[in-house]
Amino acid sequence: MEKTAIVCPETGEQTAGGGASPFMKKKKSRLERREHLIAFLFILPPIIGFLVFTVASMLFSFVYSFQKYNTLTGASSWIGFDNYINLFTHELFAPDFWNSVGNTAILLLSIPLSMFLGLCLAGLLRMGDIKGSKIFQVLYYLPAVSSAVAMNIVWRYIFNNEFGIVNLMFNIKAAWLSDDALLKIAIIFKNSINGMGTAMILYLAGMLNVPKDYYEAASLDGAGKVRQFFSITLPIISPVTFYLLITGLIGGLQSYADSQVFAAGDSGARTIVYFIWARGIDQGRYGLASAASILLAFVIMIITVIQFKFSNKWVYEE
Amino acid sequence: MENHVEYKEIARKAGYISLRVVIYAVLVCGAFLLVFPYLWMLLTSFKKDLDAISIQLSLFPKQWVFHNYADIWTFIPLLKGLGNTLLVEVSVIVVGTFVSAMAAFSFAKLKLRHKTFWLLFLMSGMMVPYAALMMPQFRVFMAIGMFDTLWPLILPGFFGNVSMLFFLVQYMRGIPNAYFEAARIDGAGHFKCFISVMLPLVKTAIAAQVIFWFIGIWNDYFAPSIYLHSHDRMTLQPMLAIINSESSSGIRLPLIMAGAVLASIPMLVIYITCQKYFIESLSISGVKG
Repeated sequence: MEKTAIVCPETGEQTAGGGASPFMKKKKSRLERREHLIAFLFILPPIIGFLVFTVASMLFSFVYSFQKYNTLTGASSWIGFDNYINLFTHELFAPDFWNSVGNTAILLLSIPLSMFLGLCLAGLLRMGDIKGSKIFQVLYYLPAVSSAVAMNIVWRYIFNNEFGIVNLMFNIKAAWLSDDALLKIAIIFKNSINGMGTAMILYLAGMLNVPKDYYEAASLDGAGKVRQFFSITLPIISPVTFYLLITGLIGGLQSYADSQVFAAGDSGARTIVYFIWARGIDQGRYGLASAASILLAFVIMIITVIQFKFSNKWVYEE
Repeated sequence: MENHVEYKEIARKAGYISLRVVIYAVLVCGAFLLVFPYLWMLLTSFKKDLDAISIQLSLFPKQWVFHNYADIWTFIPLLKGLGNTLLVEVSVIVVGTFVSAMAAFSFAKLKLRHKTFWLLFLMSGMMVPYAALMMPQFRVFMAIGMFDTLWPLILPGFFGNVSMLFFLVQYMRGIPNAYFEAARIDGAGHFKCFISVMLPLVKTAIAAQVIFWFIGIWNDYFAPSIYLHSHDRMTLQPMLAIINSESSSGIRLPLIMAGAVLASIPMLVIYITCQKYFIESLSISGVKG
């Protein structure tokens, strides 16, 4: 966030009263203190909300992650790092946890795929100088504003093992909803095409920002279209790539509806957040689930910090 | 020579036209792929139960039936679900928008100590995943008897929405101070300045943000699915998910699709009518990145 000098209503008064009497000064400082107070009162509700629903909640999650919760008595006892150790080594929980980590990582594949598809689409729109470009943008962005539940219900029907339209159309009997690999392929396919609209719109906006004379200069130097794309367009739109990657990662790491609604809880598509939900909310293993959630939060925070820190180093700037 | 140039020109034009035809074809195919789920949802909702699970591929219903749209209201308490969703929407958006706008006004126009710190403080919350917050909240809401009520969905919204707040801060900074100076000379306090000067000036920006928030709440699934258990206390999304999983045999698929269609209509209407805002705000978010 850039620091912008904020000119306040009183600024005019301030310069005018530069050589004012001590009395005026005192009155002004009281007025100023009043403004500070009112300004603070105005931002107080969001701050209270943040303290309660984010800071305190996060702290308690952290505390829970070192405790064992007894579902019968409702009592908690300190067990140190056992929850974290159990996540990785316990014979019952570890396979499940590793499975959810693996699934989440594999399902993240839809991010580069949707980015690639979006880039191609944006390129097509740009190359063909398409008239109905706005209509295509609206249609392609539709999945992003759609309800994940409604969409997943339909996609589940489309991929149904027995009577899904995909199997009927290609006359195959693929077990999309029960085979571990096929299930993931179906979700990656679904998320790739659902995400390509966002990528397309952002890439298109980025491409429109590239100054025309860059291309003109490049053609004078004898650079072909392909060369121009890789040497001019791609570097200049790299902030978009970076933005899509980061927001995609942050969203993808928190994927839940796909496991719950599309895969109906099938182990082949259980994600980390599904694991946290199933162990924590569903089974009352608050400690174990909190440990997993703290690890997830840690990873996401690192990604966000990377975004803040390095975004201006990695990407093109004028 | 002349002829040759003309021929080349025609060939170039023909190449360009055929290129555009191919591009259009690809784009139309892609768009069809994305709209297809909605189309399939709609077509299936007019099918007979057995027709929908037939292993013979038929795009259109063999026999168009409309009773699914009548049955769904008694099969699940859809009207209740709609009412519950709107209750959350209205209470959260009315209070939350006011709170966010007031805080944004303070950040943008008032003298506030440690302004940058507080803004960064609030924004840092955006990087915390909900999964890392839900367990303590779940236990507290459970302990104070708010489980299976709408309160866990409404209460957090009362304290505003950080992304809306951040957007409004940027927007309000662009409003000239002269407006407020005039009001201040007339003896208006800061609150009055906010209500009668700032709010009317930024109402379109607020409206756009409200639309996004409305869609967000409408489609929200994770938190509602955790807190709401009785069918008639649910909002629309968990209700859809639960009837889908309860009839996983697929017997009543057309009925579920009818429910999904009905639950999607308000969101679709808003999206189509306000598409400009959606695409514009998305384009800006990426370019600023």
